[in-house]
Amino acid sequence: MRLHDKVVFITDADSPSGKAIIDRLSGEGAHFVLNSVSGGENIRANVERCQSAGSKVFVVNIDLCQSSEVEDMLESAAGQLGTVDILVHNNNVVRPISVETGEEALFLDIMNANAKSAFICTKAVGKQMEAKQSGKVVYVSSIHAEKPTGSSFAYSASKGAVKMLTREASIVLGRHGVNVNAIEFGPVEGDDAAFESDISTLYHSYRYKVPNAVLGSYEDLANLVLFLSADEARYLNGADIRMDGGFLMHYMDFKMKRPGGSV
Amino acid sequence: MSLSGKVAVVTGAGTGIGKGVAIELAKRGVKVAISYNSSDAGANDTRQRIEEIGGESVIVRANVAIKQEIDDMVNAVADHFGGIDILVNNAALQLNYNFEHSDEQYDRMMNINLKGYWQCMQAVVPYMKAKQSGRIINISSVHGKRPTDFDTVYSMTKGGIKMLGREAAIELAKYGITVNTIEPGAVNVGKQGTKETKPIVPAEAADRLKKEPPRDIRKKFPLGRVGLPKDVGSLVCYLASDETEFLTGAAIRLDGASMLL
Repeated sequence: MRLHDKVVFITDADSPSGKAIIDRLSGEGAHFVLNSVSGGENIRANVERCQSAGSKVFVVNIDLCQSSEVEDMLESAAGQLGTVDILVHNNNVVRPISVETGEEALFLDIMNANAKSAFICTKAVGKQMEAKQSGKVVYVSSIHAEKPTGSSFAYSASKGAVKMLTREASIVLGRHGVNVNAIEFGPVEGDDAAFESDISTLYHSYRYKVPNAVLGSYEDLANLVLFLSADEARYLNGADIRMDGGFLMHYMDFKMKRPGGSV
Repeated sequence: MSLSGKVAVVTGAGTGIGKGVAIELAKRGVKVAISYNSSDAGANDTRQRIEEIGGESVIVRANVAIKQEIDDMVNAVADHFGGIDILVNNAALQLNYNFEHSDEQYDRMMNINLKGYWQCMQAVVPYMKAKQSGRIINISSVHGKRPTDFDTVYSMTKGGIKMLGREAAIELAKYGITVNTIEPGAVNVGKQGTKETKPIVPAEAADRLKKEPPRDIRKKFPLGRVGLPKDVGSLVCYLASDETEFLTGAAIRLDGASMLL
């Protein structure tokens, strides 16, 4: 039980990463504050499994870009479960938008969903963590905090912003015993469609650009979230951990490990 | 360097780094649009200093948080000088609110520092596309890499600019437009910021520091000095020249190696 009685706040519980993280962390004795855009509807099975394993669950559906909503919600959650020990920010809105022709409203939607919510949630849980001089913050970011997408500049800009948030929070909250780290995750099944580009060839044969030719899963992600949330990670702070199976290290197409061996 | 006769827009050119960039470009024969928002006196001073060296410039006003104002400003420059060759994105807001920015302050900083850079690019692209050539130079900061410990949102905007630069470089390459980023460290810009900008060192800490013996500048800056606006200006001129047609998507840290200490 590596997270016995710890309170975990997951910002997008309905996403595939959110569900995998709930499942993994509930097995370690955590309780949950879950922000669910479906109001709990799409995570019913995950929540039931948690509860039968003895986890307490507090499901909400709030706008994470409004500080007042986040602060009020955290106060109610504290009354039920206690204050937050672990924040997992996993918002991941991917929409195509080009530099040349992109619309402002879409740019703001993507930036706010992925970056502004991370700032606001961190600021809010940071106060609770400061009070008890301990805590963990984990951002589920993307390999596109470094590698351009060629399809959604606002997405990669939002992840670039989260990288700097990680570094700032690691010192500001680090002085209060909080560890703040980012996981730069990717690719998973379907990312070739999500990041379809007429500029970048990054996702061509993407599954074979992972040197061992096995794509990662959300369960892999959840394992790293668990490690970063647990006491063993006490000396990891301000790190951005690229978790991509070596995908971004790929260089020589003709050496790809693929069925038949040829390109 | 082959810059004479080109047209540049420099945002935030009334003060600090932007002023230095505008003057260095003008020295090399570039026709400079001095874009500013609040500092009339600053913009006039930049214009006067360009006049003194026999350069050509025009003052234009835009709040880069507002797309319409950007578009109007850029179109006015293109009408005045006949096209645009160089955009220097420089106008930025820094509030030094540590981790305590309100939602509204967060939005304001993102809208100026990141959205403004993007929408200035959008506005100049048609003019550069028409010539199948152009230079976009984003003035970022070492705080796109290292944290500030005094303004979380400022470095978030700079982290966003890093990726905006990389994305724009691969997307706009087909038009012969290059996009590069300069990351200055501490630059001596005199007193700057808005009324809202807090001092980086709070009064009580400043009093304490005053009682300590002055620190050897080389302990923080290996070359024995901080940066000057003209250091940034010189690099902008190089990146704006025809000699850099194969240089794009790069970020150059310009800090006298201070980040390495």
